[in-house]
Amino acid sequence: MTKLVWITTIAILFLVFVAPALFALPIDMLPANDQPGYSVNEKVSIYGKRMISQKFTSQADNLSAIGISLGNPNLKNKKPIILSLYEENNSFVRTSVLNGQNLEDGDFVKFVFSPISDSNGKKYTFTIVTPEAGAEEVIYVYHTKTIPDWMEWAKYTDVIELEVEGGLPFVTFHKPKSKLDVVKKVYSRFLLGGFQKP
Amino acid sequence: MKKLLILAIILRLLLAVFYFHPDIKTYNFQASFLKKGVFNIYSYLIDNKKTLTLKEEFVYSPLTYFVLGGYQAIVSPILGNRFDTWLANAESNSVVRDQNVFKYLLILKFPYLILDVAIAFLVMQFFDDKKNKEKAFTLWLFNPFTPILIYVFSNVDIFAVALTLAAFLFVKKQKLFVASLLIGLASGFKLYPLLFVPFLFTAGRTLKEKIFLGLTPIAVFGLITLPFFSPAFVQSALVSGLSTRVFNPSFNIGLNGTIIVSLLAISVLFFYGAFINKGQSLLNLWVGVFLLIFSFAYFHVAWLLWLAPFVVILIVKRPALSWLFLILTILAFAIPVLYEDRFMTVGLLRVYSTLYDQLPTPFSLLENFYDPYNLQGILHSILAGGSIVLLYKLLNKENT
Repeated sequence: MTKLVWITTIAILFLVFVAPALFALPIDMLPANDQPGYSVNEKVSIYGKRMISQKFTSQADNLSAIGISLGNPNLKNKKPIILSLYEENNSFVRTSVLNGQNLEDGDFVKFVFSPISDSNGKKYTFTIVTPEAGAEEVIYVYHTKTIPDWMEWAKYTDVIELEVEGGLPFVTFHKPKSKLDVVKKVYSRFLLGGFQKP
Repeated sequence: MKKLLILAIILRLLLAVFYFHPDIKTYNFQASFLKKGVFNIYSYLIDNKKTLTLKEEFVYSPLTYFVLGGYQAIVSPILGNRFDTWLANAESNSVVRDQNVFKYLLILKFPYLILDVAIAFLVMQFFDDKKNKEKAFTLWLFNPFTPILIYVFSNVDIFAVALTLAAFLFVKKQKLFVASLLIGLASGFKLYPLLFVPFLFTAGRTLKEKIFLGLTPIAVFGLITLPFFSPAFVQSALVSGLSTRVFNPSFNIGLNGTIIVSLLAISVLFFYGAFINKGQSLLNLWVGVFLLIFSFAYFHVAWLLWLAPFVVILIVKRPALSWLFLILTILAFAIPVLYEDRFMTVGLLRVYSTLYDQLPTPFSLLENFYDPYNLQGILHSILAGGSIVLLYKLLNKENT
């Protein structure tokens, strides 16, 4: 029974103090923001030449992914969905492609690309298109008026460019400086100096 | 023993504070309406679904509502005036980032701690000698499984578990009527103890006693639920997903006829206890019923607590079975870990950080290599096989 007392004590202390650090190790991207809330009724449909673009200021270095919720009604879109990233002067910097085949309706998906090391404070624009999709294979991109001040209102292009009423509910992800950085972030809530945003 | 108890309490408080399963917020949100004077929570939640921030129905029996709601009313000065706002908050990130979340979790799980400690003392009462009493006490407090079931998964079933354990203490003392009453009272918290009613029938010595023992829990349950009996109650608590899940798996026998697998298995056990091995211990039959349910139904991890104190008693009584119990317990824990549910694994860490939202679940990780449902099926089949062997051992050789 003494063995059992030791095993259980160690197991629970492990769960409380060590497991959070262990589970933090595989985390290779840190979100810069929470995803803004949105309604599935406020959306634009994208296919063919239709395109949505969104301007924003990166909140940290090592920008490495953009996460966004997309609709794939009746899972009909099985075509490539392309996110392209441009710098402020419209020069192309990164691209990332997902396939509609792997997109459940309403999924939060990440467009991952190689990190941009000095991205903090710089302005970028990303566009989302699914050029091979026909009118029956649309994807939905949702928008919301409640956006942080570092995002601008999105623009929707279908022959002409129009301003969408609101920005896209997206999240930017950034590669952490080190694994220790992630572990520190996980425990930061419990460090002296009061509660911090985890 | 005093030192062990203090250590056990400290460990439990740590788990209670740092691990969060969203169910605790959901059923406490529902129970919070008692403070506002809502009596029939079942119809209230359905009638007000459109305006409520959390849309779930109340799936428990009425006593869970009144006990949780009553407790909330008593401790509301400690919980503070922001507590109800926190309960009603449907935004998953701000809920775990609230600076009061640790206090809320500690206070809301405190009744579980009291019942948990009470169970430790109750399991001792099943033994006459000091050595076995201490064994049972230690095994309950220091097995690694029950603290996880109770505090990590915020298991409100502990009310029914404590009452069913007390019922079996009265079975041991040959006070079967009190045991029946307690089984009925336990079903006032959660429906599952009613599954044992047919077995109480077999325990009676005369036909009158059999009917009396069998009908008492149903009458108690009927009295508790009568004021709430409505389509809303039937829909939420009686035929909810969790309740019917036990009787879902079935196979076709043609012309739309089916055989319900778990009911078939329980029936075999019942007829065995009623006609073949009449002197069978009710405790063995109780354990048998739930071994069969876990074997043949898609069970929730929280359900494992239904059996936990009885397993402790059986292991102390029959140490030869401890390895078999251990293997089956590990299997029973491994299956829900593979469910497509973040709150079986990484989602439980969200109080530390919402960064864990980026981790894949074991289900989605496994998907890259193998069909997770297939693996669940393999593990579940092994669990069923082991459970049947365990049941055979329980029913046939009292002293091995």
